[in-house]
Amino acid sequence: MAEPLLTFANAEHRHMISSATFPRPWKKVKGPGIVGLNLNVYDGCVLGLVGPNGAGKTTLLRMMAGILPLQGGTVTARFSSSQPEHVDDLRQWVGHMPEQVRWQGGQTVREALEAIGDMRNTPSKRIDGLLDLVGLNQRKDERLDNLSQGMRQRLSIAAALLGSPKVLLLDEPFNGLDPVAAEAFTQLVKRLASKGVAVVISSHMVAQLDQLIDRIALLHRGQLLDEGTLEEVEGRLDLSNRYRIKGKGPVDIAASLSEIDHESLGFEHDNDEWTFIFRGQAEAVLNALMESATVTSWSPVPPNLVELLCAATGMEVEDISLEVGSSAMLPMRISEVSEDE
Amino acid sequence: MSDRGRIWRMSQRIRDRQLFGIRLKIMLPILILFLPGMAWGFSDPEIILPGGHQPSTPMEVLFYASLGVVFGATMCAVLLSFDGISRDRSSGMLEIRLAQPMPRKHQATALILGHWQAIALPVYALMLVCLIIVRYRMSEWPSAVETLVYLLSTGLILLWYTLFALLASTSAKEQGTAVAFGIGVWFFFTFLWALVTTMVAYASGVAIGEANDPAWVALEGALDLLSPNGVYHHLLETQLPSVDRGISAWQAWVGAAVWTILPWWMLHRRMEGLVP
Repeated sequence: MAEPLLTFANAEHRHMISSATFPRPWKKVKGPGIVGLNLNVYDGCVLGLVGPNGAGKTTLLRMMAGILPLQGGTVTARFSSSQPEHVDDLRQWVGHMPEQVRWQGGQTVREALEAIGDMRNTPSKRIDGLLDLVGLNQRKDERLDNLSQGMRQRLSIAAALLGSPKVLLLDEPFNGLDPVAAEAFTQLVKRLASKGVAVVISSHMVAQLDQLIDRIALLHRGQLLDEGTLEEVEGRLDLSNRYRIKGKGPVDIAASLSEIDHESLGFEHDNDEWTFIFRGQAEAVLNALMESATVTSWSPVPPNLVELLCAATGMEVEDISLEVGSSAMLPMRISEVSEDE
Repeated sequence: MSDRGRIWRMSQRIRDRQLFGIRLKIMLPILILFLPGMAWGFSDPEIILPGGHQPSTPMEVLFYASLGVVFGATMCAVLLSFDGISRDRSSGMLEIRLAQPMPRKHQATALILGHWQAIALPVYALMLVCLIIVRYRMSEWPSAVETLVYLLSTGLILLWYTLFALLASTSAKEQGTAVAFGIGVWFFFTFLWALVTTMVAYASGVAIGEANDPAWVALEGALDLLSPNGVYHHLLETQLPSVDRGISAWQAWVGAAVWTILPWWMLHRRMEGLVP
C-alpha cells in the first residue's frame, strides 16, 4: 500500500456535555465522541466510514474537516511535501459536505457558491467549472428556495470542492437521493477519486457503499473497530468464504456433505425450494450437492453492516442497537473478557 | 484577496441579504415613524415638553429625537441580528462556513460588520432626513461636531445591540431562544433600567425621582454607565452644556469603549469554540 496522505494517530475529541450541579450549574464534563483513533487516508482511495446511529461518524468527519479541534493525538499529512508533516489546520486541504444542508433564501445557486468561494479565495472560473461538474450549470441562476433535494446535495458537493481539496469528506451523501441521482453521485465520486482525491464517505447503508469504496472503517461508540479493504476486514472478522446455494426438490444436506469440510450457517425449506448457507470450500460443496439434488443457483454471501459490527464487537444485534445512545466509552472488544470481569 | 478584503466581501453579502430582506421592509415604517417623526415633533417651535422645557437648539432636538433610536432602531438591530448564527446552524450552513480556511475571528468580524451595516445604513439615511427636518423647522443646522457625535454615538448603540443579539445567537440552538435573549436584553435596558435605578436609589437612601436632587442626578448618571442606552445618552450629553450629571466626556467615551470591546471580544471567543 502507498504512503498515507493523511494520518490520525491516537486522535480524540469528546463532546462537552452539561453536568449541572448545585454550586456549579455551568459545569460540563467530557461526553461521547471519538477516542484513540488511528486512521490512514490514502490519495485516490474511497474510504467508507460505517457504523450505526451515534457511532461517531459525523464527529469524526468534523474532526477531519477541522471544525472540531483535536483534544489529543496528532495529525500528519503529505499535502505540501512528499514527507509526512504535522498539520495544525486541515481546513485548507479538506472539502467537507455536511449531512442535509438546507440551502434556502433568495440567493441564486451561483451567488451561494460565490459566497463560500470568497472565504477560500476561489476564482469565479473555478465556480463555473464546478457547476458543470455537478450538473448545475443550467440551474446556476435558480433561487435556492426552488431547488430539489437532489440539487441541494449537488450544490453541497460543489461547495465542498471549491478549494480543490485533497481530501473530500461526505457525510451521509445518499440521504434523500433517488436511485438515479444516487448513481450519478456514485459516478461523480469515482471520477474524483480517479483524479487522486482521497474521499471519506460516511453511511449506515453498506449496500450503497459496496460498489464505491476501496476501504472500509468500522466505527462504533466512538472507536474504530477495524479498517482495511473489505476483503481484509471480512477475513479478520471471519466473515469471508460464505456462500448461499439454492435448489429445489428433495435434499439431504447432512448425508450429501458428510465427507466435506464445511460449516453450516443455515438451511431454509420453503415448499419445494430450499436455501443452504455455509462457510467452506464452495466448489466441493456445490459438486456434492449437484450429485444428489437439483441446484438452481449459488452466490457468495457478502456481510452486511450488522454482521460486521456484531463480529467486530462480539455483541448481539439487540445489544448494539440498544447501546447506540449510550455515552459510555468502554473498550469494544469484549468477546475476550470473561463474565466474571 | 487579502484578509481584510475577504472580511469586507463577506460582510457586504450579509449586509445586502438583510438590507433587501423582508424583515427590514417590515421595520422601515417603524424607523420612519420613530426617527424623522420624532425629529419633526421635537423641532416644533411651539412645543413645550411635560417638564415645561422647550428645546431651543438643534442638538437639543436631536437629543430628544434620540428616543426614537433607543426605542425603535435598537429593537430593529436586535430583530435583524438575533438569528445571525442560529439560522445558519439549523440549516447546516454554519458547518460549511466553519469548514472554510477563513479564520473564525475574521468570520465573526464579518458577521458583526454585515449585521451592523444592515441596520446602520437605513438609520443613517433617516438621520440625515432628521437633520434636514431640524434645519427646515429651526432654520439652523447643528454644528459639525454635534452632528459627528450624534452619528457616531448612534452607530455605537446599534453596534452594541447587534453584538448582544449575535452573542445570544451563538448560544441558541433554536430561534426562539435567540429572539427571547435579544429582545429580553433590549427590554431590560430600554424599559426596566429605570426600575433598577430606582431600586438602587432607594437602597442608597436617595430621594427617588427628585429631578433637582443632586444626589439622585449623580446616582442616575453613574448607573447609566452600566447601561448601553445610558452611555448613549451620556455621549449625546457631551454636546449639551446645560446638562451636567456628574459624568465627564472622557468617562462617557471610556464607557462606550468598554461596551464595544467587551461584547466584541466575547463574540470572538464564542466563535472560536463554536460547534455546529
